Amino acid sequence: MSNQDATPENRLRKELPEEVPAIPSQQGAPEEPAEPVLTGRQRLVKGLWPPRVTRAQLIVALLLFGLGFGLAVQVASNSDSGNALRGARQEDLVRILDELDDRSQRLEDEKEGLEKQRDELENSSDQAEEARKQTVEKERQLGVLAGTVAAEGPGITMTIEDTKGTVEADMLLDAIQELRAAGAEAIQVNGVRVVAGTYLTDSAKSVSVDGNKINAPFRFKVIGNPQDLEPALNIPGGVVQTLEKEQATVSVERSTKIVVDALRAAKQPDYARSSSQ
Amino acid sequence: MIAVLGLVVGVVAGLLVQPEIPAAVVPYLPIAVVAALDAVFGGLRAMLDGIFDDKVFVVSFLSNVVVAALIVFLGDELGVGSQLSTGVVVVLGIRIFSNAAAIRRHVFRA
Repeated sequence: MSNQDATPENRLRKELPEEVPAIPSQQGAPEEPAEPVLTGRQRLVKGLWPPRVTRAQLIVALLLFGLGFGLAVQVASNSDSGNALRGARQEDLVRILDELDDRSQRLEDEKEGLEKQRDELENSSDQAEEARKQTVEKERQLGVLAGTVAAEGPGITMTIEDTKGTVEADMLLDAIQELRAAGAEAIQVNGVRVVAGTYLTDSAKSVSVDGNKINAPFRFKVIGNPQDLEPALNIPGGVVQTLEKEQATVSVERSTKIVVDALRAAKQPDYARSSSQ
Repeated sequence: MIAVLGLVVGVVAGLLVQPEIPAAVVPYLPIAVVAALDAVFGGLRAMLDGIFDDKVFVVSFLSNVVVAALIVFLGDELGVGSQLSTGVVVVLGIRIFSNAAAIRRHVFRA
């Protein structure tokens, strides 16, 4: 501190030149005594380029080797995707485990729901299959009645020989009625299927069934229980006796297999509509 | 120059050797690496300031690593390991940034 001038401005001006040179000399002194005013950049370049093997350099190199090694190992183990849990802490692992448990629980629930749905769908498709089978079965049964499908089964064959031309439509109708009353399920007469709407008319020495003219001998093929059908025809005063009175000969044969294969086209009714009620 | 070579050789060796990290060291290695980075940045800054001293550097490097590992160990023991290591990383990160700023001022004069 100089006491030459007491004014603050002068004092400061005096002080600064004294201290300024001191700072660079203190900074540069420990490492670079030769060049006291070296900038940081110059020091960096100087330290980098002429490689000097000094104790300090070697120790620092050793430490940096350790740092680089640890860094690389850590980075490698961290980026190892298959081992993502390796470096995780205990509480993180617990949390991850909990999350996984939750997730598997959710997935389990979802699986149960989907299985239930699958079962329902299978059931409903089973039901649909069952309904379809029943529909097919019903179609066959109705087809036997409607004459759209062939039928076979036990039954009888009745042959009416009419050499004199005395058999009339009403006698055949009686025979059909009698057979139906005895439980006949499918009937055909000389290749014409007898169904619900069948009508018989007399036509010039012969008989027409549903407009198809048929000639003697009239051959009835009937499916039903033979033990019921035959007696029904043979009862006293019944069909057989009535026909024999008219000079026709009737023969009835039981058979375990009668094939009724005369068919009739399915016909859409013109007026009648099914009423669901 | 030799120091930079040491760093490069270390990285290459680590990548090539791929050693199994012992389970006991696994939690401490990342923090130790960050602490060592802090020491290295501090040393670089000191070198640019012209006050670099190898003894100081060695001591600060080793003590940084040990203290960081110790803090993590203590945190694990106390049950606040993850928070504490986050704190350590934040503090070291701030120091690295301030050192990097000083280095930048020296190197780029900006």
